[in-house]
Amino acid sequence: MLKAIRRFFGEKASSQVARQRMQVVLMHDRMDIAPDIMEAVKNDIIKVLSRYMELDSQSIRVDLEQGKNYTALISNVQIKRVYRHSMST
Amino acid sequence: MAGKTIVVTSGKGGVGKTTTVANIGTALAKRKYSVVMIDADIGLRNLDVVMGLENRIVYNLVDIIEGKCRKQQAMIRDRKFANLFIIPAAQTREKTAVKPEQMKELCAELASEFDYIFIDCPAGIEQGFKNAIAGAETAVVVTTPEVSAIRDADRVIGLLEADSLKDIHLIINRLNHRMVKKGDMMSTEDIISLLAVPLLGVVPESDEVVVSTNRGTPLALDRGSKAGLAFQQIAARLNGDNVPLDTAQKVTLVDRVKRFIWS
Repeated sequence: MLKAIRRFFGEKASSQVARQRMQVVLMHDRMDIAPDIMEAVKNDIIKVLSRYMELDSQSIRVDLEQGKNYTALISNVQIKRVYRHSMST
Repeated sequence: MAGKTIVVTSGKGGVGKTTTVANIGTALAKRKYSVVMIDADIGLRNLDVVMGLENRIVYNLVDIIEGKCRKQQAMIRDRKFANLFIIPAAQTREKTAVKPEQMKELCAELASEFDYIFIDCPAGIEQGFKNAIAGAETAVVVTTPEVSAIRDADRVIGLLEADSLKDIHLIINRLNHRMVKKGDMMSTEDIISLLAVPLLGVVPESDEVVVSTNRGTPLALDRGSKAGLAFQQIAARLNGDNVPLDTAQKVTLVDRVKRFIWS
């Protein structure tokens, strides 16, 4: 009954939790992207964007997101300012 | 004759590979097909005890490969069906005693003599796994509704596909319908959507499986058992028969109310 009350207040069924966790885990397993590769991707994104704008390199995040029928790479970068001309690096 | 070679694999140990092999093999033998089951788990053989044939072993798989005996000498005939055989694994050797090419050769030879060749794959994804899948054209992946088993199954499916073994089927073992209804266990649909492999069948969790392995008589012979029936249906589907999947564990309104009150 306690569980029923918790469910009533929005606690998910454990099967649902398991399924959602597995979606994320399997995607990572399948893509087989090691953490160091993700780090390299992140650094390359910084490098490219830095030609055009000044970034807050501490704030940059790169994540994989699993939708129902897609997998997306989502990067979130804070821009400090945009250069007038591209800087050749 | 060109028999079907089928490897039964899972990645994770203890999900019921050997039980599955024993039951599907027996069910097909009951339908008059000639069947041989190879225990590829060298060093940890078990198919013999599950089949109740542990007292009859003289030669084993490694003996055949090394030419110490003829194939027929290592094959043990089932107690009940004259058209059902097992080739036991060696118990005191290592997985490296066999090479994938040798398994391929053996499976090809057996395929000319039998309708069905089952290979009971060891747990893991190392040498033993590579040997077991080498000679197979079809793979049956066994999983249970647990996160660890599903993750390993997904890994194995990836490795099978990388090895250009594309005919892959899924068996979900030990599903507890009561727990699924309560939302405490992933459902058949959940697992299929995660693994994206066609489903061959669902075996309900059952005490009878333990009892049948205790006795060394596969459950597939038992008409009154739900798990036994599931194995018989799986065997039929593998044989190409059209047996509808009754996966529809429909959650009715009454179930929802019950779940809310009793959970």
